[in-house]
Amino acid sequence: MIKLYDFELSVNCYKARLLMSLLDVAFELVPVDFYPGWEHKTEEFKRINPLGHIPVLDDDGFVLWDAHAILVYLATRYDTSRQWYPVDDPQLLGRTASWMLFAEGTTNTASAARLHVNLGYDFEIESVRAGAHRLFRYLDEHLWFTEREGRCWVCPGDHPTIADIALFPDVALAPEGGIDLLDYPALRRWCDRIKRLPRFVVMGGIFPASPGR
Amino acid sequence: MNDEGIAAAPMLDAAFSWFPIASSEDLPFRHTYHTKLLGRELAVWRADDGYVNVWEDRCLHRGVRLSIGLNDGAELKCQYHGWRYASRSAGCTYIPAHPADAPARTICCTTFPVVERYGLVWSGEEPLGDVAQVALFGDEGLTLRPVPIHAPAALVAERLRSYRFRPNPTATGSSGECTVESGDERAVVVTARDGTAEMNVVFFVQPVDARTCVVRGLLVPRPVDDAVVGVLRHHNERMSTLRDEVEEAAAVMPPPPPMQPRVRAPAPVAEPTHTPADTRTAPLRVVVARKWATADGIAGFELESIGERLPAFQPGAHIDVHLPNGLVRQYSLTNGPGDVVRYRIGVKLEPDSRGGSKALHESIREGDVLAISEPRNNFPLRRDRATTILIAGGIGVTPLIAMAQALGHAQLDFRLHYFAQSPAHLAFPEVLDLLGERVVRHLGLGPTETGQRLQEILAERRPSSQVYVCGPGSMLGATRQMAAELGWPDDAVHFEYFKNTTVVDDSSAFDVELARSALHLRVPAGTTILEVLAEHGVIVASSCQQGACGTCLVSVLDGVPDHQDVYLNDAEKQRNDRMLVCVSRAKSPRLVLDV
Amino acid sequence: MWSNSSTRPIVDSFERCTDPVALNQWHPLSAVAELRRGVTYQTLLLGEPLGYGIDDAGEPVVWPAKALHLPAGSPLPATPPAGLPTQVSYGYLWTTLGDPQPLFAIPEADEPDRRVLNAATIGIATSAPRAVENFLDMGHFPFVHAGVLGAEPHTEVVDYRVDVVDGEVWATGCRFPQPKAAPGSSASAMTDYTYRVPHPYCTILYKSCPFDESRRDVIGLFLQPMGEEAVRANMLLCVVDPISTDTEIRRFQLGIFSQDKPILENQVPRRLPLSPIAETPIRADKSAIAYRRWLSEMGLTYGVIPAADGAA
Repeated sequence: MIKLYDFELSVNCYKARLLMSLLDVAFELVPVDFYPGWEHKTEEFKRINPLGHIPVLDDDGFVLWDAHAILVYLATRYDTSRQWYPVDDPQLLGRTASWMLFAEGTTNTASAARLHVNLGYDFEIESVRAGAHRLFRYLDEHLWFTEREGRCWVCPGDHPTIADIALFPDVALAPEGGIDLLDYPALRRWCDRIKRLPRFVVMGGIFPASPGR
Repeated sequence: MNDEGIAAAPMLDAAFSWFPIASSEDLPFRHTYHTKLLGRELAVWRADDGYVNVWEDRCLHRGVRLSIGLNDGAELKCQYHGWRYASRSAGCTYIPAHPADAPARTICCTTFPVVERYGLVWSGEEPLGDVAQVALFGDEGLTLRPVPIHAPAALVAERLRSYRFRPNPTATGSSGECTVESGDERAVVVTARDGTAEMNVVFFVQPVDARTCVVRGLLVPRPVDDAVVGVLRHHNERMSTLRDEVEEAAAVMPPPPPMQPRVRAPAPVAEPTHTPADTRTAPLRVVVARKWATADGIAGFELESIGERLPAFQPGAHIDVHLPNGLVRQYSLTNGPGDVVRYRIGVKLEPDSRGGSKALHESIREGDVLAISEPRNNFPLRRDRATTILIAGGIGVTPLIAMAQALGHAQLDFRLHYFAQSPAHLAFPEVLDLLGERVVRHLGLGPTETGQRLQEILAERRPSSQVYVCGPGSMLGATRQMAAELGWPDDAVHFEYFKNTTVVDDSSAFDVELARSALHLRVPAGTTILEVLAEHGVIVASSCQQGACGTCLVSVLDGVPDHQDVYLNDAEKQRNDRMLVCVSRAKSPRLVLDV
Repeated sequence: MWSNSSTRPIVDSFERCTDPVALNQWHPLSAVAELRRGVTYQTLLLGEPLGYGIDDAGEPVVWPAKALHLPAGSPLPATPPAGLPTQVSYGYLWTTLGDPQPLFAIPEADEPDRRVLNAATIGIATSAPRAVENFLDMGHFPFVHAGVLGAEPHTEVVDYRVDVVDGEVWATGCRFPQPKAAPGSSASAMTDYTYRVPHPYCTILYKSCPFDESRRDVIGLFLQPMGEEAVRANMLLCVVDPISTDTEIRRFQLGIFSQDKPILENQVPRRLPLSPIAETPIRADKSAIAYRRWLSEMGLTYGVIPAADGAA
């Protein structure tokens, strides 16, 4: 069975948990005492991931780290509909890759601000918050036009992709980092749509949405 | 557009003005939208019937933002303790920590007026008059993407006067000829002409707080459908440029003083939640909007408010109906969650009517005005059981229809067993149809068969199930006895007599003397001291009316209070020198209060 | 990685506290096990920037940064100027800016077979009293901790007893059905709780122990008030659990913490209003009602909105 080296409060671990749940893939968690135990920095853990970070996926001996790489692998390997990572549609795949890179930006700003507030990580807090607002402003505008064009997700097409999963926790948990979503109503609506996907799971800090249609 | 673009009106103080606070598209199905106006946070949500609720963004219980709450289409549910607030009235309908209690009517969120027009949702603190009149185009405009700007509203409105755009963005060429037709710090109209093409943009500025605003634009006339997205993008580009410029300008200006939201009066106090039977009041005036025969011998009535909107109610609640002949009768509300515009009751013509049901059946017509009480609830529905069995006999179905709809809406398991003479005697068949297979009809049964059927129903007892029964006295008696024999605990079996007479309250009756008011009053069973005082014009401030907040604390000069509150601690209770008059009563025959 | 070990001065700053009630308390700064010896850390207490650390001999050192500003991460000074009183209790370093009474006692912490550990320290943008009140509250279990500490539709809070005993608020006889009471339990159980508030910003919970019916687990919530509306919440575990690993125990408690955090950060206002009519208490809130009255009576003003007439 798939093993995920996991920390409950990590947005990057949640991305992997969420996609496996949406894909209905069975997995087991290996809790890592990321905080306060700093277990990911121990020699023992570095034998699993020499870079000393989580999540790490172990699929029957195939070991992979970096959340977004794990999303690519899981979707390609386990999504028989081939929609979450649309390898059959070059343009859509390109868009997905582009938004995955954008999600690196939201992780490094919005989720960094959250680590600063929650766990005292040393970031230039005002600068990461400003960076998150710049990205959210663009994403909100993008999603507003997406809705006008009758679509729901960050990439064109009528099915969500792993880009939505990569972005969602950074957005949904941004208020924990002191980043208010008041200016981004289209982001809040998109969060509701993700929360209404079948087999959606929450993590601490994310509220469920009321059922949709 | 001519200079009638926006009807000239004197500038009102912001507190008395309408502002757009959302686009209609910001309120999709079961979403809760968050915004701010003049420094006040608002939770905005659309109920399934289309009504837009604009509420202060705080749950009354512990101040948690309601904008993170769940919109279930009929009610907004707070994420912290699951308190539910009804659409329109914003009254609390359920407090899960105390499932057996009906919430006090005073627990009602602060609401703000709302109008939906031109694809925008408008609200304000205490707006006067109508929303801005945009002449010439009715509802045919196109709502632009709202653009939040981190700059004061007045500065943004000023910059909007230099907004330039192309009437037809797909055509090549310049920006066209743009003129500002009218403008002030709330709204600006810009017209662009290019040859024969003419297009108008009306910008409304929503002052979010002292430093931030949202520009909400409306394009008139609406472009043809395949041009819409291109036009929207054109304006979004132009607005983004304007935003960047004005934010840059605002960044080097001294920050304006913060806007303090106007302090609103605290929640109303000292309103009795229960009107004593001998001095009933009927504060609401309603018009009979619809009267129809819902079943043989049963008339349905839909009652619509004249003036103030109808107060919140919970399943099991009833109203007093004051009839022109002076009689007062109680009828259960049959409404389900979200069905809050009209109260709906069912009235059976009683063969031995002393004039109540007869008057309603024979004299009252559509369009007549009736006086009614606010809803009261002596039959509250617990929603903390896995399964609920509802047993109705005849017209006793009315409160149970409300309960069935509430349970169904909450996705809780239930069965409604409805005993009636024949299909023609089933009241509100359209509601029963919607409830589907969860309604079991038991028709034309004699007393013995009814008893057998009840026996079968009650035999299905599970640990987390409960029974609500309402019907003729004989049926209640039989159900009660059978339930006891089958091992149902008392607190899992709930009764109400279908005439909705107040369930007999066998608690104490005693006298109170008010030392300072020189009054000697009788507190009968089923009535609180607070209510008796209010009846006689002695107002003691109160708030929670549950013995929790301590607002109605009074000094006791003589007598022994029967403390039933949670506010005073044991030692204070033992001193017997103070009491909360909303719930506590007397152990002694007489109390002397320092009131 | 930690701001506590940053070379930059602390950028957040708050107005300094003038409330004698808050000043004359012991306040937690950090779990000692998480501090490297001989290194300077920085923090804020009641708006006052502090330097602190554990010296090479294992002794705690705390001083106001206005007397000696050292970048975090510098070597710890042996005898800093204006050194503040310190103590190490229950695994935390405590200090004070005033003249406090002795710190409350938790006798269970001395029992040899108990696991005593810091489950988590998390920053929360709220006041310390709001966090204490949330900790005393059972009514939110089925909504905020759904599937863990409670589950709908089982939402009723049955009556319990509240007393003020020897200057502490105690809520006893509290019971709530819990689907998964602790990392060691899988079945649902009616769980017993006793709550104790011995300090305006610290509270302790005693709850049924899934491994030993005769004993109770102890969970402490100790809030470091960085400012009036910003705290670091420290969760002490003092449990009888021969099976779970530290990681599992912490994961369970961190999960609960992380569910409370967004609720607390969405409470308006952040400071706790002490006027009984500022919010709408219900019977289930009687421990909170007693806590608010207790704070009013002790005259606390920091982190609260005092009742207008100065009394509850």
